Amino acid sequence: MGLILEVKNLTKKFGGLTAVNDVNFEIKRGEMLGLIGPNGAGKTTLFHLVTGFEKPNSGSIRFNGMSITGKRPHRIVNLGIARTFQLVKSFRYLSLLDNIAVACLSPRGRRAFASWDIDEAASTILASVGLVDKARMPPVILPHGDLRRLEIGKALGTNPELLLLDEPFSGLSYEEKEGITKLIRRLNDEGVTIFVTGHVLRELMTLVPRVVAMHQGRLIAEGPPEEVANNKIVLEAYLGRGEKFA
Amino acid sequence: MMNFEIDLDSSLRRFRTWALSYRGTITLLSVLGLLLIPPISGSEYYAQVAITAMIFTVFAASWDLLAGFAGQVSFGHSAFFGVAGYVTAALVRFYEVHWVLALMTGASVAVLFSLLIGIPCLRLKGPYLALGTLAFSLILLNLFMMGTILGGTEGISGLPVSQNLFMDFYLILAIMIVSLVVMRAIADSNLGTVMKAIRDDETCADASGINTTIYKLIAFMISGFFAGIAGSLFVLNATAVNPAVFQPLYSFYAIIMASIGGLATIYGSTIGSFLFVVLSESLRRLADMALLVFATVLILVVRFADEGLMNPILERSQELWDKIRGR
Repeated sequence: MGLILEVKNLTKKFGGLTAVNDVNFEIKRGEMLGLIGPNGAGKTTLFHLVTGFEKPNSGSIRFNGMSITGKRPHRIVNLGIARTFQLVKSFRYLSLLDNIAVACLSPRGRRAFASWDIDEAASTILASVGLVDKARMPPVILPHGDLRRLEIGKALGTNPELLLLDEPFSGLSYEEKEGITKLIRRLNDEGVTIFVTGHVLRELMTLVPRVVAMHQGRLIAEGPPEEVANNKIVLEAYLGRGEKFA
Repeated sequence: MMNFEIDLDSSLRRFRTWALSYRGTITLLSVLGLLLIPPISGSEYYAQVAITAMIFTVFAASWDLLAGFAGQVSFGHSAFFGVAGYVTAALVRFYEVHWVLALMTGASVAVLFSLLIGIPCLRLKGPYLALGTLAFSLILLNLFMMGTILGGTEGISGLPVSQNLFMDFYLILAIMIVSLVVMRAIADSNLGTVMKAIRDDETCADASGINTTIYKLIAFMISGFFAGIAGSLFVLNATAVNPAVFQPLYSFYAIIMASIGGLATIYGSTIGSFLFVVLSESLRRLADMALLVFATVLILVVRFADEGLMNPILERSQELWDKIRGR
């Protein structure tokens, strides 16, 4: 199997605040790893560090054995790490098809779809995330659930080995969550390694076999979801210290 | 050979479909109308007004490609216009270079300048980019005003005067049409899609694996090239150039014309420039009062047609036409 991502002693400070504090973890190729933690725990900052949107103060990140610490975002994407954003981002005035086409036009996308017509590649991806009937629409008129699908579709356009999903369930209805869960499972079955965050434990419990828990910038627990959910430190992080309630 | 014939056939068919469509018909009628200006009016004055408008159309469209499609708002477009103008003037006047070669060299130097301006300015965004590019054009203005470079404040004059203005008219019309078609084709290509993506959300484009810096530079270079063509034509037509071509006013002309026509349309620049040039010519008698009238018109356009004039006019007139035909 081997490791796809190794994070060592990663630290990121914003002024006096240490958003990510000496974090160490590894992701195995083909696995689905969850990252949980209350709001403000540092999950998104950790994602920004891995994908190059922030530069760490210290520590190292290795992808497929190669250091990607401090590399620019588009370079990291072209090595094979794609991500989605917690607050969905899209190209507002482009059709859904063109939204995906942009990713297919990245160097890595072009390599992956070399023998394809760009529109053909983009519509195949749109179909795989269930949006092909809306190909000509602009994203602004889509419901939130479809935007989350579009985000995943855009990431797939770059043919990722490792896909980072930042809160893919936030703001979705029960049905939409079911749909996204199925989509993530299928991508994993097709060989994409998944790293997914959530602040609601329950949502990730059914999806991933292993989670790491984060609180105030530190990793505080790791293991199967049921075990982490009952971990005393994790419960304290979510609910506050017991004695305060007593 | 066979393949070529088939290709030609299908493109002819596509042209036919386009020509019979509402927009196609309007476009062809407009071109026909322009072609008829010299023979019908027989007046060099009208031909000259149209020439100025056509040159500004290319200039405004080049700004639209950079700002409307790639989202990089430049307030210093006169830099490309002026540099190309100066290079062309110097080559023609001092080295007796053929005007076509001088035009291409001028445009190429404008591309170099677009890199020179683009590279440092790419770290800037939004209003700061606008100010950065504005500063560059002001630096050029002052360099040429202050020193003795290429004629100092006097500039270069005495370029050969054209023997046949109507001939120039048709040449410039052809250059304008080719430039517009090429710019629109770029905007509709994969390159254009990536440029629009950067305009809509740069972070998101980065996350889609796009090297935004390279694409923004490409947009700057293409835009600089066409602005350079416009600048060279302007100087060749005026037979002189002086530092005034670097004035921010020229950058603002491009912005105003492209905005009146409609951003991110390329073809809208024609409406913007013709309206602008014809209006300022016809208001000339009012002297200073003309500015007041002009400013009012601009404010009304911006207030009531925030997507410019071209698309709303085409849509409304098409509805009317359909009604007349009883559809």
